Amino acid sequence: MKFRYFLKDKIYFFITFFIVYLILLLTFFAFRIDFSLIIMTSFLFFFFAIFVLLFEYFKKKSFYTNLLFNIEALDKAYLVLETIEKPNFYDGELLYQALYEINKSMNEFTKNLEYQLDDFKDYIEMWIHEVKVPISSLVLMAHNHKDKFDYKTLEQLKRIEDYVEQVLYYARCENAEKDYLIRKVSLNKVISNIALKNKNDLLENKVDFKVQNVSYQVFTDSKWLEFILNQIVNNSIKYRKKENSSIQISASEDSKKVTLTILDNGIGIPSFDLPKVFQKSFTGYNGRVMTKSTGMGLFIAKNLCEKLGHRIEILSEEGKYTKVNIIFSKNRFYDPVK
Amino acid sequence: MRMQKILIIEDDSVISHELSNLLNNSGYEALELQNFENAIEEILEISPDLILLDINIPYMNGEILLQNLRKKSNIPVIMVTSKNNETDEVLSMSFGADDYITKPYNPNILLLRISAVLKRSSNSIDVVKYKDLEVYMKKGIIRKDEQEIILTKNEMIIFNYLLTHQNKIVTRDELMTDLWNNDEYINDNALSVNISRLRSKLKEVGYENIIETRKKVGYILS
Repeated sequence: MKFRYFLKDKIYFFITFFIVYLILLLTFFAFRIDFSLIIMTSFLFFFFAIFVLLFEYFKKKSFYTNLLFNIEALDKAYLVLETIEKPNFYDGELLYQALYEINKSMNEFTKNLEYQLDDFKDYIEMWIHEVKVPISSLVLMAHNHKDKFDYKTLEQLKRIEDYVEQVLYYARCENAEKDYLIRKVSLNKVISNIALKNKNDLLENKVDFKVQNVSYQVFTDSKWLEFILNQIVNNSIKYRKKENSSIQISASEDSKKVTLTILDNGIGIPSFDLPKVFQKSFTGYNGRVMTKSTGMGLFIAKNLCEKLGHRIEILSEEGKYTKVNIIFSKNRFYDPVK
Repeated sequence: MRMQKILIIEDDSVISHELSNLLNNSGYEALELQNFENAIEEILEISPDLILLDINIPYMNGEILLQNLRKKSNIPVIMVTSKNNETDEVLSMSFGADDYITKPYNPNILLLRISAVLKRSSNSIDVVKYKDLEVYMKKGIIRKDEQEIILTKNEMIIFNYLLTHQNKIVTRDELMTDLWNNDEYINDNALSVNISRLRSKLKEVGYENIIETRKKVGYILS
């Protein structure tokens, strides 16, 4: 709160003050009042004006400076009312009251939205569990009646399954608090599951799938990690080279971290697209030219990694390779548990 | 060997029906639980070798059923569910499930899991007899009298699978699934190579042509 602006705001006070003072002076002169009395009256008059102004200024200043400072300092500015005391001057009280009411109605509004969002997410999760039942039936039917369904049916079913899974994890990564569980997980097991899941795709597309040195244990949620890896492997299959395509999975360990590497010799990512691959709905040159892509896979993968405390990085050279590293940091905190 | 009984506890009738088809075709005797109200009594009466238990079933959920069942019996149980999260899995295992598989599952993988759980529960021995051969699974050795042949890991996985499905047609996809399930990520050509090597090794001990090729279907061990 600046004194200059405060004074400017009091302009009506000054105008009235000077008019009254002028009239008073003229009256004094008209009645030929003694000069010393005029000085004394003037002094009292000015003293009164300055005192009232300063008193009001400092009273308001402490409140407003505090308010503005706290708004600046808080990362959630809407909580500012909790940090200040109720002012003891009238317009301050009005402001306080108004803020309070605004806050309350906003809170109710966001609470409502939150409930709606939660309801929607619950519904999505439930729906996904339900839709998996007919998908399972179809998979079983396709398997039992190979004469009526061919390989292509299974391929399409797997695509549906993958998309459904993506929605599930999207809903999860936005409110992840409730359903993940960090445990000691063997990378070997996770990779084995991924390999089995994508076996038909890999064989059908003649992708050479190699796994080396992955017998490490990391702390993670195995289901989430499986989803993340599945996105990466799916991408590697989707953007493979026409011939001699390969995917190599390996891992390494040092004192601070375990790094899991997925390397393919696919078409790679243009350097101008590379910084943007983890953005939501980003499809890039490959996504637009090669296949229809939703641009959600890597976004969700990155999000889940962040929630789990892993780092994910992607390196690529167009036409040569794409390499994804997932870095699990080791925490000595867990050592006693091991 | 008597047929092993598998009880399916699943309220979706289509899945239940298809599942029992799958199991019947794979050499098990599949039964579907009809009466969910007195599930425990029914189960104990049927006394299956293994139970496939869905979590979402009427009257009580699968987890509670499992908890109650464990108070009375140690029948192996594989939980089958559409809930794909770690917490549910850990919970189910802590209630005494032997395995946990999420829908939609690959039927071949389901069968592998079933046979793994059954094998574990019957404390299977390391040595299996085939005609006059002794097959040492873990060592990867086949012995005939004094003669020993050594199989690679891949060859052993293939031979073992053919052996447990003796006199039945085994598809290439089933073999492939079993290999991949054992972390051997080989391709189509490699499978053919492994089978022909296995054949020539078996020929050394005097069993020529015991693995027949059924065109476009798979293999059969007689």
